Amino acid sequence: MRCNEFDLVLSDALDGVLTGVQLDRFQAHARVCKACGPLLAEAEAGRNWLKGLTEVEPPASLVNNILASTTGVDTQRLRVTVRAPLPQVSWLERVQASLFGYLEPIWATVRQPRFAMSFGMAFFALSVGLTVAGVKPSDLRQISLRPTVIRHTYYSTQARVVRYYENIRVVYEVESLARQVKRNVAPAEPGPTRQKDHKNDTTQQPEQKQERNYSQTDNRLILASAPAGPCLKCCDLPVVSVTTYRRFV
Amino acid sequence: MEDVQVVAMLVRRCIAGDAAAWEEIVQTYNRRIYNICYRFAGSGDDAEDLTQEVFIKMYRTLPSYDHTKGAFVTWVTTITRNLLVDHFRKTKQDRMTDSMDSAASEHEDAQPLSEQIQDQSAPPDAHVRNREVSETVHAALAKLSPELREAVILRDLQDMDYREIATVLRVPEGTVKSRINRGRAELGRLLQRTYRQVM
Repeated sequence: MRCNEFDLVLSDALDGVLTGVQLDRFQAHARVCKACGPLLAEAEAGRNWLKGLTEVEPPASLVNNILASTTGVDTQRLRVTVRAPLPQVSWLERVQASLFGYLEPIWATVRQPRFAMSFGMAFFALSVGLTVAGVKPSDLRQISLRPTVIRHTYYSTQARVVRYYENIRVVYEVESLARQVKRNVAPAEPGPTRQKDHKNDTTQQPEQKQERNYSQTDNRLILASAPAGPCLKCCDLPVVSVTTYRRFV
Repeated sequence: MEDVQVVAMLVRRCIAGDAAAWEEIVQTYNRRIYNICYRFAGSGDDAEDLTQEVFIKMYRTLPSYDHTKGAFVTWVTTITRNLLVDHFRKTKQDRMTDSMDSAASEHEDAQPLSEQIQDQSAPPDAHVRNREVSETVHAALAKLSPELREAVILRDLQDMDYREIATVLRVPEGTVKSRINRGRAELGRLLQRTYRQVM
């Protein structure tokens, strides 16, 4: 027998399943081989040491911990659930129990302070928004849902919002500034060309000067008066000065 | 060792949501799994945690068990072994596979392992003596390499046959036998040196 064969049957020999000629060859090799002989002795000793080891007792709480970590149910509770007779319950109680089972996670969420704070903030924001919009809870009872009324309410609300928007000082100032900038940026219109155009204009459109806005800034007061000097020498007519406020455009 | 049909029925009940069936499985196999974990990991606390992890994994993967492919105990042992190997890789402990005559550390004055596990005090009675022997053997077992340790634990402490061990370890039967032989011999060598005076 060779050493590799010896190694293959060593476990069988220790288990006691090796018999006959093979056992004789095995023992003969163990006696003569300097490597395999000690190997057999050490392996047998090690096996005997291991056989002497007894089983250790698991902790008493191990099963409970396992059940709690897997099914989430404690052993004692499990036993009570399995062995206790089921009480008679009415269909109403069963419906309540099933509803409670569905609502329990929601209720658990609602009970959290974080959710209460969020709900409070949302309610506060909604009430502020309604107050700003002019909605009063007492008006809701008198509200009419007819289409014409709804349409009228919509347009009136829209007009109110537009009015409110346009009356804001900032908006008005920004708009006037934008108009001024636009006016400055626009190129100056050449006068003669425009007059020429007016002469050739056949569109029957009124002249542009009639559309001008006669604001106070455009007024130029002209004082009309007769020259006094020469008239005193050539004629003795009394001089009457006349002032007119005609606008020259 | 186990009635295949009974276990298969138990597993089916468990998959269907029967908590009592799962409790029966836990009651049946917790001792075995705890012992494998304890002998492999070396400490009671680690063994308790690992046993819980094994059952959690088993609970999740129970529908994947096919009784036609092998015995339930082999399946359970495979899960346990895989988890122990993962645990070993994570903790990276017990890498030391030296014999007891080699120094445990790099310090010059470090004692050999045989002297570290040797108890010089005389035991007061046989009970204490047996307990100390068990602890010594347990400590020596922890010094084996993981491959040799798992093989001898499954064979000599769990009484599994070679084919089942080969299935669990996913190696040929010849490799299983070789590992068992080397593991036993290494353990015998460690302990013979320790108890040479007694023997």
